[in-house]
Amino acid sequence: MAVIDVSMTDAPRETTVARATQERRAAWALTAPALILMVIVLLAPVIIAGLLSFTNYSLGNSGFDWVGADNYEKLFTRSTYEKMFIATLTYVVTVVPLSVGLGLGAALLINTLGRFREIYKTIYFLPVMATLLAMAIAWEFMLHPSIGMINRTLEATCGTPFEVVPFIANGCADRFPLWLGDKRYAIWVICFIGIWQGFGFNMVLYLAGLTSVHRELYHAAEMDGAKSAWDRFRLVTWPALGPTTVFVVTISCIRAFQVFDTIEAFWPQGGGPNKSTYVMMFAIFEKGIQQNLIGIGSAITMLFLAFVMFLTLIQRWLVERKVHYK
Amino acid sequence: MTRDWWKHLILILGVIIVIAPFYMMVSYSFKSPGEIDRGEGGFFGRQELMVDERCVKLRDPDRDDIAVAAGRFPGHSDSDIRDALLAEAQSDCSMRPVIFNYTKAFTEAPLLRYLLNGVIVTASIFFIQVIVALPAAYALAKLKFWGREAVFSLVLFCLLIPVHAIALPLYIMLAKLGLTNTYAALVVPWTISVFGIFLMRQFFMTVPDDLIDAARMDGMGEFTIVWRVMLPTAVPALLAFAIFSIVAHWNDYFWPRIVVTGNRDLFTPPLGLREFKGDGDGSFFGPMMATATVIVTPLIVAFLLAQKRFIEGITLNGMK
Repeated sequence: MAVIDVSMTDAPRETTVARATQERRAAWALTAPALILMVIVLLAPVIIAGLLSFTNYSLGNSGFDWVGADNYEKLFTRSTYEKMFIATLTYVVTVVPLSVGLGLGAALLINTLGRFREIYKTIYFLPVMATLLAMAIAWEFMLHPSIGMINRTLEATCGTPFEVVPFIANGCADRFPLWLGDKRYAIWVICFIGIWQGFGFNMVLYLAGLTSVHRELYHAAEMDGAKSAWDRFRLVTWPALGPTTVFVVTISCIRAFQVFDTIEAFWPQGGGPNKSTYVMMFAIFEKGIQQNLIGIGSAITMLFLAFVMFLTLIQRWLVERKVHYK
Repeated sequence: MTRDWWKHLILILGVIIVIAPFYMMVSYSFKSPGEIDRGEGGFFGRQELMVDERCVKLRDPDRDDIAVAAGRFPGHSDSDIRDALLAEAQSDCSMRPVIFNYTKAFTEAPLLRYLLNGVIVTASIFFIQVIVALPAAYALAKLKFWGREAVFSLVLFCLLIPVHAIALPLYIMLAKLGLTNTYAALVVPWTISVFGIFLMRQFFMTVPDDLIDAARMDGMGEFTIVWRVMLPTAVPALLAFAIFSIVAHWNDYFWPRIVVTGNRDLFTPPLGLREFKGDGDGSFFGPMMATATVIVTPLIVAFLLAQKRFIEGITLNGMK
């Protein structure tokens, strides 16, 4: 670095060619640390995972065998991994539309308010900031079958008119759900917490998107006969929010694929009752790290990367097609 | 207001659901085990004096204690002295539930150490990210060199790779180097933030070339320009990036869970809380929720004080 610094002081006397050489050298010196780290920390692991996914490697073993596509075959034939795909897809397909929809809904409601809008915004954003693991434990207490706040509240509705709801009637007659211990509810509880945590983030992005919708567009739409609020939304707001929606959906998908904290906190072993919440991140953790089955873990990693890259590429393609109406 | 009542109704319903776990977390951190079990005491609990059974058990007087104390109670039988000592222990071990919960949070597990680790790890990550990303971003934005397009394409490609997704190969590499269970393992995978490079490059593109030319005229080298000229202009963008980075890594649980096994000295706050949960019995809900509150509070307070900046920072991704 010092060499460059000293020689640069002669800059005015140098020819443009020498100057360009200087600049090139400086540029490479400045990008070198980032380049090296990118290769070691990001690219090398992808290649390593790709290679290991065709082996039966384990940490601590001196050698390994190439097993061809065996690991991938297992992924698509064994029932454990079928459960993994079902859990992951259920989670993504539930959490993404609902957290995006609720985010949009909250943003639209808040945007029309004069007073209190900042308060709602702040409160809805709190879960995004909070350590998810801590909040997962708080939720676990709320969902506790006997002393949890949720079942206590439900029990309080027994003997009131609420009992006409079949769910509450059943709960009062027998008992209310175990939630985390029940394979029918476990994955939905995880989905609920995912939505609870993520919709504030989407709301804030939509609120930012809404500020860029021009007022004149609404007037124009009204003149064209868009009388109802729904028409205004359909014809003006929704198209104008196109770029925001593309982004919000992609980032929600990527985050949803990576769900882990809540599942590990609730069920350190095994991925929930009857493996109903055995999502991909948890599978990588359990197979690859805890059970030292690096081959199969790497195969899941590669599949995971393929999903995430595919999603991001779709997003970039959509953005480049200009969903904008600017 | 009157026209908007239905909107407020919906939004307030949302507020109740969003706030509920926070309310419960803080409330339980104030209450005694009995109040938690029976679900009473309102938000703060009744704060009646409670006796810490473990503390009393620890002070259970044996023969020696009684012999020592005999001087203080002349003319009493051993069993009387024993009862008197027990009563003393009882009164010394009784305290308000809120104090019990928070002292237990800090004494049952080295919570201060965990918090310190959290600070060390998040701060190191952020500083290294800046040291690596800023020069690269400057070169990509303002210097002409053969290969610039290639480097930038590489950055764009790397944006596709979430670090959590490649945790397994990273773990294998660190294990082969014997680096698991070190601070390095907690920090290294995050040292390169391609997102940071991308963000700072976009920002530097808007800085006028004249500023850099003037600096060159003054005889500054490129390296000096990065830190003396570009860094000060980038403070607002860096602040947003700092919030983005710090929130992500303070709250991260997945990566520390993988590379730190068993060595409590390296636990970050979420790992500490997790362990607390693992070995806690029923009566420890209070202290556990106190721990959770302590871990969540710093970021929430910072957020409440500087909401605009935080929302800007967390939603940085949106600028892509």
